Amino acid sequence: MTVVAELFPNGITELFEWKAILFEGSPFALNKTGIMVLVSMVICLVIFVIGSRKRALVPTGLQNVAEAGYLAIEQQIAVEVMGPHEGKKWTPFLASLFFFIYFINVWSVFPGIQFPATARIALPGLLAIIVWLVFIGAGFKTQGPLYIFKNITPPGVPKPLYILVIPIEFISKYLVRPFSLAVRLFANMVAGHVLLTVFAVMCVELLKAESGAYQIAFIPLPFFGLLFMTAFEILVALLQAYIFTILSAVYIGESVHPEH
Amino acid sequence: MRIRRLVAVSLLALGTVVTVPGVAHASGSAGEISECLLEKAEELEAKEIDAATFDVEAKNCYAAPSPLLPATGEIIWGGIAFLIVAFGLIKFGFPALRKGLADREAKIREDLEAAEAAKASAQQADGQHESIIAEARTEAGKLIEQAKADADRVRAETIARAEADAADIRARANADAQLATERAMADLQSQVAELSVDLAERVVQRNLDRDTQKALVESFINEVGGSRS
Repeated sequence: MTVVAELFPNGITELFEWKAILFEGSPFALNKTGIMVLVSMVICLVIFVIGSRKRALVPTGLQNVAEAGYLAIEQQIAVEVMGPHEGKKWTPFLASLFFFIYFINVWSVFPGIQFPATARIALPGLLAIIVWLVFIGAGFKTQGPLYIFKNITPPGVPKPLYILVIPIEFISKYLVRPFSLAVRLFANMVAGHVLLTVFAVMCVELLKAESGAYQIAFIPLPFFGLLFMTAFEILVALLQAYIFTILSAVYIGESVHPEH
Repeated sequence: MRIRRLVAVSLLALGTVVTVPGVAHASGSAGEISECLLEKAEELEAKEIDAATFDVEAKNCYAAPSPLLPATGEIIWGGIAFLIVAFGLIKFGFPALRKGLADREAKIREDLEAAEAAKASAQQADGQHESIIAEARTEAGKLIEQAKADADRVRAETIARAEADAADIRARANADAQLATERAMADLQSQVAELSVDLAERVVQRNLDRDTQKALVESFINEVGGSRS
């Protein structure tokens, strides 16, 4: 980490802090992260709004991507977790969530950008809070005002144990869930970004050959590490979007299905 | 509708969340850190601060903003972006996509049903054709049998008729032969009688008149003829 410390004298946070490009000093400061988020938004809209306008019997191009993506979320996440009725109803929200996160995550391997906006806590935290509000709102709407109480008193538990169970259930269901949802996505994307940086810095430093030509021989090691990690990051980008979405589906499903 | 309302409420609540965290600070540049350290060192030399305070404050010079504190600008832009994505997709993108899928499903179902009906109709037609062919075969078999029977009957009739004709011809021929024989015998008797009379005249030389002689000879020949037949 000495090399990294030399390259980033102000600490590893330098990898994640971006100077504002527009509106500097105001709450609307727009930096690289904000721009990536806006571009991802445009990508999502282009794929799904334009892709859904075509009505070919045999889908091709954007229509194919849009339909396959939507159906994958519907079948693999929404219906699988929430059942056919609720699943189909919630698919639009879950699909929006999935593709928004995925197109932000995948910037981590995009040449010239190589930074996922989800490696900043703002976005995972924001999305986790949205999911938190949505599943609590859905719970109140479906189960009525006693939703919170119903959900933290599992049936079949002896009454005296409620002293322990109620606080544990409340903390795990209403406090830990949004936190874990945000931290899981954030930490995975941070770790991936740091790993890619470390391998890239190692390649550059070995190439300098300041300590002797023998260093060159070791370049393939971090280089192939970098290649492998880049491929792995593509998978992580998809996987983290999937995990975030499926957990959101589980939480919402639990709120709209009181019997669970 | 319920989901859209929920999403709208969630995103509205987001506005409240956005105002809570403080503004993230940008990390200092290398120059700023050196200046800060130099300043603290001067304060230590001037005995304005003790060594322990210097350690703490020198470390603070390196301190970068915590990566766990969200930047307000990022929350706002992220929120706006997600709001637009969710609204755009839930309102326009996905309903159109679902309609397209439903239309295609309906079209495929209709086509399948039409194909099924066509197949059933073809199978029915095929069955009819087969029964027609079977009937035709039976009919042909019957015709062949009848033709064979007719042929046998005609052959038997022809043979019988031929045999009858042959028998008739044979009988007529026999009758003709018998008649011819009888005629020949009568002629022969007459000629023999003539010749015998002539012969006897020459032998006896008018001992008997001609009619007596002829009667004698004929009676003689009849006796001879009767004894022969």
